[in-house]
Amino acid sequence: MPRDFWKLAWESIAAHPLRSALTTLGIVIGVASVILLTSLGEGTRRSLVSEFSQFGTNLITIHRGKTTTAGIPGAVGGTIRKLTLGDAEALRRVPGVDALVPVAFGSARVEFGERGRDVVVYGVTSEVPKVWRFAVGGGRFLPRGDPARASSFAVLGPRLKRELFGEANALGEHVKIGGRRFSVIGVMASKGQVFGFDMDDTAYIAVASAHSLFNTEDLLEIDVLFSLGASGDSVKEGIREALIRRHGGEEDFTVRTQAESLDVLNRVLSVVTAAVGGIGAISLLVGAIGILTMMWIAVGERTAEIGLLKALGATRGQIARLFLLEAALLSVVGGGVGVAVGMGLGALIRLAIPAISVHTAPGFIAAALAVSLAVGLGSGVLPARRASRLDPIEALRAE
Amino acid sequence: MSFRDLVGFAIGALRGHRLRSGLSLLGVAIGVASVILLTSVGEGARLYVTGEFATLGSNLLIVFPGKTETTGISPFLTEAPHALTLEDAEAILHHVRSARRVAPIVFGVAAARVGDRRRDVGVIGTTSEFLGVRQIRLRSGRYLPAGELARGQRVCVIGSKVQSELFGSRNPLGEILHLGEERFRVIGVTAPRGLSIGQDLDEIVHVPVSRGMKLFNKISLFRILVEISSHQEIPAARRNALELLKERHEGFEDVTIWTQDSVLATFSRVLSLLTAALGGIAAISLTVAGVGIMNVMLVSVSERRREIGLLKAIGVMPRQVVSAFLVEAALLSTAGGALGLAAALGATRLMRTMYPSFPARPPFWVVPAALSVSIGVGLLFGALPARRASRLDPVAALARR
Repeated sequence: MPRDFWKLAWESIAAHPLRSALTTLGIVIGVASVILLTSLGEGTRRSLVSEFSQFGTNLITIHRGKTTTAGIPGAVGGTIRKLTLGDAEALRRVPGVDALVPVAFGSARVEFGERGRDVVVYGVTSEVPKVWRFAVGGGRFLPRGDPARASSFAVLGPRLKRELFGEANALGEHVKIGGRRFSVIGVMASKGQVFGFDMDDTAYIAVASAHSLFNTEDLLEIDVLFSLGASGDSVKEGIREALIRRHGGEEDFTVRTQAESLDVLNRVLSVVTAAVGGIGAISLLVGAIGILTMMWIAVGERTAEIGLLKALGATRGQIARLFLLEAALLSVVGGGVGVAVGMGLGALIRLAIPAISVHTAPGFIAAALAVSLAVGLGSGVLPARRASRLDPIEALRAE
Repeated sequence: MSFRDLVGFAIGALRGHRLRSGLSLLGVAIGVASVILLTSVGEGARLYVTGEFATLGSNLLIVFPGKTETTGISPFLTEAPHALTLEDAEAILHHVRSARRVAPIVFGVAAARVGDRRRDVGVIGTTSEFLGVRQIRLRSGRYLPAGELARGQRVCVIGSKVQSELFGSRNPLGEILHLGEERFRVIGVTAPRGLSIGQDLDEIVHVPVSRGMKLFNKISLFRILVEISSHQEIPAARRNALELLKERHEGFEDVTIWTQDSVLATFSRVLSLLTAALGGIAAISLTVAGVGIMNVMLVSVSERRREIGLLKAIGVMPRQVVSAFLVEAALLSTAGGALGLAAALGATRLMRTMYPSFPARPPFWVVPAALSVSIGVGLLFGALPARRASRLDPVAALARR
């Protein structure tokens, strides 16, 4: 009997190839657009997460100011107590802390001869390559030394180097940063954009030099790398206690592990992806209405056939199942083709514009197929009920 | 056949299958309604942001310390080698001719305390000019006093929420508020206003600018707001201010000056793009609805073979048959479009009553666009069925049962 079901359903679909194809096309378009949009969203999420993770996962960031929300703490600056170099040095004694970088930040003009360029200047220490996992392209990074002492060494980002020196050698040359002389001892390897900051178009100088250049004692943040064996949460707690002690019992700073930041990022992007996918799913709804319409028409056309089946002893349940099966077949085939089309378009986009990341999660495919099955069954219910309730005598007479 | 006959013929055919026609129409309605709703929300967001900027006061220049070549970086965070000072602000007021009012600003977060109640508040250090530039209204008391000497006074004006949270129902005027280690006397309370460009002015404490700089140990201003006397003067004023500051900063052009127009234009552009993208995604459903119409029309053509054959046998031209089916398809989709339009307009109206501060409103072009697109959908997707009908051989059509 089940085999007969499949055969009957398939035959009635095949009897009207154009009609069936068009009905399916609605679902194809709907599923393809949902798959494509969610793949774009998921791709963006993954590329942002990997931008984040390139700094390593065992990173803890300390900002000034206390926030509980997902905003950027200390963005505009100025609680009563600043984060200082003293704070940073004190954190070295917290168990589990492997390395750390105090970061000062400002914008200044970097000049070489006639050429000049306004860029972001980071005041950091020798541990940047280790903590941020940035590689030096040529020369070396800032030397080890007392972070409280200024030095006249500078390391340039590759883009800044190219803009100022072209292809010429920059190592050993002198540049002016904010009017002061620095000698170039290294050029970083290319890193590209990280969260909209062009990490190649920057200069790195010692944190104390940046403090004197920008006339401040304040740190933008402290980045702490903890050893692989330690637990992020216990190191975070240690940092918190140490800083509270130094800040006279007040918690006027924010400590966040990389895992927590990732969590926030993931949550936000998942919501955006879901919203965009949801808007795309409106077309699935319209496609479902299409199936409903066509099945309704099919029931009307096949009144005589249904009457005959009933006269031959088919039960109401069997008739209903027959039509449900037909609707489900239409939409599941549409769903399958839609997934293929969506993924194909995604692949095309990736080929055409490599900067856009597209990633179709297997979960989306399963969900799309499940939804299209549900859509088929849902839109088949009404026509199936109508078919099953036909009176065989009336139905046969309609012929 | 006249056009009236065509429409009558089409309506007759559509009424013969009410459910079927209703469902095809519903598809278009959902598509049109979702496009209009999404663009309305997007347009609402744009209007909201534009309106928010208007409350900043008109004809404004915003001066930031720091400058970068790369775009996309926010100048909010940066420090620069040459501080933006109070003297810079004075100089702008005196040397840029069209500058009418200048409000220097420092900003930070501080722990506020009254008795044993405490909370973190945003603190704006500024001058009496800020009141006019940001169009702030007072609920009681007065604003920061004017004049050079007043800039170091330990007085403050508090937002309405700061008042209710730190003073409760007591009258705060004349009372002492601690910011960090320092004592400030409350001389005024601002009227409730709510969020303005992401800043809740009700949760802000205003202090005199020099006091604010000491409090946050800053030598540089966060920004300078410059109000220009007339709109035409803005580009010239911006140039003058840039030159002036460059001169004052030893030849370094290390400030960024935004005009309110340029900020507004950027926001407007981004939001319009976003609106278009969302509308476009929703418009995919219109394609699906069109496919549905095509399908129903194809069925209708094959059901009405005999009718079409008869029409052709009595001398109706193929072109007229085409028109008859096109009119039918267009009627379906236009009715759907109108229904969707009505539903969306109703929904945006409901939104406006529920959230009066958010001006959700369809962009002006949306109504004509929705109607013409829905007619277009009908004509486009009706074309294939109509051609099929017109090509029927009358003899074969009539001969077959």
